[in-house]
Amino acid sequence: MMDGQTLTLRVADAVLVAPGLRRLHLVAADGTRLPPAAPGAHITLTLPSGHNSYTLVSADPEAGYEVIVRLTPQSRGGSRHVHDTLAPGDVLPATVPHNLFALHSQAKKHLLIGGGIGVTPMLAFVAHLRLAHAPFELHHMAVSAEIGVFETLLDARPGERVHVHAGPPGVDLGALLAVQPLGTHVYTCGPSGLMNAVESAAAALGWPDSHVHREDFGASGGEPFMLRLAKSGIDIAVAADQTMLAAIEAAGVDTPSLCRGGACGVCLAPVLEGTPEHRDHYLTPAERASSRMVMPCVSRSQSATLVLDI
Amino acid sequence: MTGSNRPRYTPIAPDLRARAHLLVADHLDVSAGVFAPGATLADFPERWGIVAHALVLPEPLPSAGVKHFRSSAHLLALLRHRLAAETMGLRIYAVGSEPFVWDVAKAATEAGMGRDEMQLFATGQPVRRVSCVHCRHINPDVTTTLVTCAGCGVALSVRDHFSRAHNTWMGVQCDAEIPGELPAVEDLSA
Repeated sequence: MMDGQTLTLRVADAVLVAPGLRRLHLVAADGTRLPPAAPGAHITLTLPSGHNSYTLVSADPEAGYEVIVRLTPQSRGGSRHVHDTLAPGDVLPATVPHNLFALHSQAKKHLLIGGGIGVTPMLAFVAHLRLAHAPFELHHMAVSAEIGVFETLLDARPGERVHVHAGPPGVDLGALLAVQPLGTHVYTCGPSGLMNAVESAAAALGWPDSHVHREDFGASGGEPFMLRLAKSGIDIAVAADQTMLAAIEAAGVDTPSLCRGGACGVCLAPVLEGTPEHRDHYLTPAERASSRMVMPCVSRSQSATLVLDI
Repeated sequence: MTGSNRPRYTPIAPDLRARAHLLVADHLDVSAGVFAPGATLADFPERWGIVAHALVLPEPLPSAGVKHFRSSAHLLALLRHRLAAETMGLRIYAVGSEPFVWDVAKAATEAGMGRDEMQLFATGQPVRRVSCVHCRHINPDVTTTLVTCAGCGVALSVRDHFSRAHNTWMGVQCDAEIPGELPAVEDLSA
């Protein structure tokens, strides 16, 4: 069960912007206006393989939404379907936009640090910050072969501080964060290694948590484990390349979810037995330590079996 | 009173995750009572205080350490200058009268600092800036529940409503219904 209002979207256009990157232009299937969304918002598309969340690169009630989907080799099928099967005219159920990665209105400066396909919210941010004439600086990490792709997508204007670095390691995060003026907010989206490095570099320099924002979707993958749903009375084997939430849904159990990225807390489930491996950004350190709750969208299990009270 | 949004203050303690700390006070002898258990004056090597004496010379760029200022206006001007040149990781701690600590908070907010980057602790006898809702005059140093507005002359009742944006309490004419009928004046510290 997906939370919130649902939309029915039609693929107006689907183009390959670079090898492995496909941009979808989505409009309302009935031709009506779509709900507006601020930069940083995402929608969750229902694909034959399950639910996938994508950040909106642009969102205009009249013109529609744009997302960019990377084809991932270890795909659960979502990106494969978007790349190989989806065609203009196809209709997809989706959630209304939700924003868990919004720009901070009081920031004096916005420092954007992206990596790889984490460019998608950055594109929405840059478009908005340009219009607002708000100070920003962007550093994007990419494998050497893709530097040109991201430079084209970001389309830096003269005088803008927009840089695409070959990485990892890419830019020296400690040096970059150390010179940021008071009132800067940093936003990071990309591989978890990059985002963790941004968070730890900021913490080491005394940045308060309120000025550090991150977004990650589907940090999936890990050791397979057995999941027992006590109320439903079923046992599920969670595969190495599958999230716990996807496994629960595949078993036909209706469980609430929203962002599918460990941020919103909607899918929180009570743990009866076993020790979760927490990967979310929602639970407090004390809640994690108690092992009484888990967010199945991103978290896994340290113990061979995990028993949930759902 | 219902509807009060009166600020509550907790004793200050250094934020151990910060890169740098700046303690600003509207007096020099910061008493032990403003510190949380375990914290002392020694936790704040950089301190700015007001001497309120003409012999204190204005300095354009106070260096680290203990610095003295001539007035709160002098201190706040230099604070704005300092914050404009600061990098992330600073925490600010303001101690003194309520109007002073919120002046510091305003300077910090305007520099982009959030509430988790500042700690405020109001000390001393309660003293309030009261804004007249009728003429918008700001009456400084109010210590009673009733005050005659220096702007328009009406008798203002000081409502228990504080504007964090304007650093003023709300003053409303208290004898608008029956002119001349005034409640008893009470001291704010009572």
